[in-house]
Formats: sequence, structure tokens, C-alpha cells
Amino acid sequence: MRQPTRLRLPRAALAAPLLAAVLLAGCATRPPASDPDAVAEYRQNNDPAEPANRRLFAVHQAIDQYALRPVAVGYRAVVPQPVRTGVRNVLGNLRTPVILANDMLQGESRRAGDTLGRFVINSTLGVAGIFDVAESWFGVRGHAEDYGQTLARWGVGEGPFLFIPVIGPSNPRDLLGFGLGIVSDPLSWFGQGAVVDALVYGRAGVTVVDTRESLINTIDDVNRTSLDPYTTLRSAYRQRRAAEISNAGEIAPAAATSTGFGVGTGMDQQRR
Amino acid sequence: MHDLDRRALLGTALFLTTAGFIRPALAQADIGRAANFIQTTGQELVAAINDQTRDLPARRQRVAAVLRRAVEVERVGRFILGRWWNQASPQEQQEYLKLFEETLIRNLSARFGEYQGVRFSLGRTQQRTEDDVLVNTVIERPNTAPFSLDWRVADVGGQPKVVDVIAEGTSLRLTQRSEYSSVIQRNNGSVAALLTAMRGQIQQLAQREQAR
Repeated sequence: MRQPTRLRLPRAALAAPLLAAVLLAGCATRPPASDPDAVAEYRQNNDPAEPANRRLFAVHQAIDQYALRPVAVGYRAVVPQPVRTGVRNVLGNLRTPVILANDMLQGESRRAGDTLGRFVINSTLGVAGIFDVAESWFGVRGHAEDYGQTLARWGVGEGPFLFIPVIGPSNPRDLLGFGLGIVSDPLSWFGQGAVVDALVYGRAGVTVVDTRESLINTIDDVNRTSLDPYTTLRSAYRQRRAAEISNAGEIAPAAATSTGFGVGTGMDQQRR
Repeated sequence: MHDLDRRALLGTALFLTTAGFIRPALAQADIGRAANFIQTTGQELVAAINDQTRDLPARRQRVAAVLRRAVEVERVGRFILGRWWNQASPQEQQEYLKLFEETLIRNLSARFGEYQGVRFSLGRTQQRTEDDVLVNTVIERPNTAPFSLDWRVADVGGQPKVVDVIAEGTSLRLTQRSEYSSVIQRNNGSVAALLTAMRGQIQQLAQREQAR
């Protein structure tokens, strides 16, 4: 008999009403029309909920200082580099369904072919995705793609900037894409049970640790050299997303995720 | 048709054709010059960073000297202060440019100074934008996979100069402009507050350099 499928609501959907309440509580005051430069900058920053976002950023910084960063530093110290690379390769390989779907939704048949070919080769010759032989033997490099980028290509605007603790810098479009990525992932279709739950949560946890580890130096630099780390992260996130959406220049590795700090996964180490 | 008209027509056609050819050729020359400039500057930087005969402070000083020559500090500084430049008093403007140069050079030379064993090469994509040339380079370090860095090169009084550095799609001057503007705004539009914050940061950077 078939198991009844349980509706697996993404955590983001549950958090949404709570978030909305926080956002409504703190809105930035729009500068007066008599100061056109200030108005232009206000529009440029695209951050009407800035006071609320800054509060959430403070929450994130505390979580990061006491939990995320120490765990990432420990992971880097204990697990040797080749193993960490293997972990990142597996995570990237597991993202294939999302990447492939979005290559196709954007009409990028060549990139879709790359993604499919990489999946077949890395899942078999690469031993369940541990070794990226598609790149090292065949020279086919992985790339990231997600629903937020597809929505952007279809003309959906990013909406106001949002900062979500643990996830990081984002916006409604990328959060929607993040949710679509979870719902459309075949891993979330396999009914229920302790094993499936453990796999889903385990993968989410490893993704967070892997992402944070790959950004230790970058974020340390921001916290040390920026006079206002919040603004630096906001600006960097939006610029980086714009570059990703246009598929211009260097490409993010397949393990990079769809929003927040995840878009910077492997920036330091995985470039060629 | 009158001869005169015909001549004018031919002349115009000829003009349009040559103009069409000349412009890309000019752009090509600009790209070549900018790429050469970055190649030379990059080699100087790499030589300074990898110079084993000097200690870290001495290496850092040489890196700073190369950067001072290559970067159009004043133009970058004014771009970054943006709309606040005109609201600052002349003294504040002078003070800002001094602090900005020091912050920029210290930050960049501290970062590059750590890149022992660094190698660099020109990348594949060199392109012309409206005003500047973007020169793509690949930075390689031991035990770290290579990453790409774009240099925005402008023509300043006939000399190629660096006006921006773009890492992974993120422009240094755009990011820093929003950072500085945010500091000023959060202090009720006081440029002096930014200058105080910059002074504090330079002190911290100096202490870090001492501690090494």
C-alpha cells in the first residue's frame, strides 16, 4: 500500500507571518522629496525595512559568533581538505534536479546538457558524487542555477531587501525561489519516515556548515574592515546576484545555493 | 542626380564606413594598452609580494608604493564619497582624501602582502565599457584554487589608471560607497563622523600590522 504523502511545508513558509510582523514594526523613513540625492540613494539601496533588517542582522551576528562560526572553524580544523571537497561535491551533485530544471526553464540547453552529463558521470564514475570527475577528467565545470534566477530572467523584480538570520541576505523573489527549490526537490517527495527526515535535515545541516566554512575568511574580512558590515553584505549580495543572473564571467560552483550566504559557497576555493 | 549630391552621398558613405572601422580599432588599442598596464602593474606587485630578501613590513611598503602609482586614488575617493562630497567642507574633503588613501592602501597591501607565492595572469575576457576598460586577471596561490579579479582601468590625463577592482562580480568602489554613505546617514548626515570612524579603523589596522 502506498504511504499517504505528507505535505512538507518549507520552514520559510511558517516563518513568513512572523517575519511580516517584524518588518511592519520597523520601516525606514523615506527621505523628503526636497532632497533628490537622498531619495535616489534610498531607491538604490532598495531597503525600506532597514531598521527591522538591522535588528535581524544583529540576531544573526550573535548566532554566528556563538554557533555558526565556531562550528565552521571546528569543521575546517578536524576534517581534512580532500574530505571537505568531497562533501561539497556531493552537495553540488544533489542539487542537480534544481539546477537542471532551471537551466531548462531559462532555455539554456547547453548548460542543461552540461548539468545532466555531469550528474550521470559524477554519480557513477565519481562514486555517488564524491569526486568531480566531470571537471577533472572531462573539463566540464559545474555551475549553480536556481528558481530565483529563473524568476529574474522572466522579469520578476527582486522586491525589497531582507535579512534573515542564519540564511543571510535575501529578498522576496529569492526566498520564493528558495521555497520552490525545496518543494521541487525529489528528496522531499519520498513519503515520510525517520530515515527520510534524517536525510533531509542532515543535508540541510551539512549545507549550512559547508557554506559557512567556505566563507570564514571572507566574512572575517568584512567584519574586520567594514565600518558597517550590514551595508557591505547588502551591497555585495545584490551585486553578486546580478552577476549570477546574467551568467556573466566566472561561475559559481554547483554547490552554491539559491539565496543568503549560500550564493557565496566555494567562492574562495572552487574557482578556476 | 546632381554630381554634387552624388559626391556628398559617396563622401558620407565613405565617412560612415571608415568611422565604423576606426572606432572598434581604437577600442582595441585602448584594451591592449589597459591590459599591458595591468600586466606590468601585476608583475610589479607579484615581485614585491614574493621578494624573499625583505621582511613583511618592507614588502608591504613596496606593495603600497606600486598601488599608489597605479590607482587613481583621488578619483576613486570622490566617487565613493558620492553625494556627500559637496556637503563636506573643503577641510573635510582634504582630510577625507588623506584618510581614504591610507585606508585603501593599508587594506589592499595588508591583503596582498599575505599572498605569498602568488602568481597572476591575464584572463580571457577583456572588454570596453562606455568610459573604461575591464581587464580580467586570474590570481593563483599555493593550496588555493585560482580566482578571477577584474580591474577597471580609466584614462586619466593620457595615463591608464586603476579606478575599481571587481572580485566575483562585486565592485569594491560600489560596495564601499554604500558603506560610507550608510555611516554618514546613521550619524545624521555628518561627514565628520565618517572621518572619525576612518581614523579609528586606520589605528586598528596599524595595531594589527604591529602585532604581526
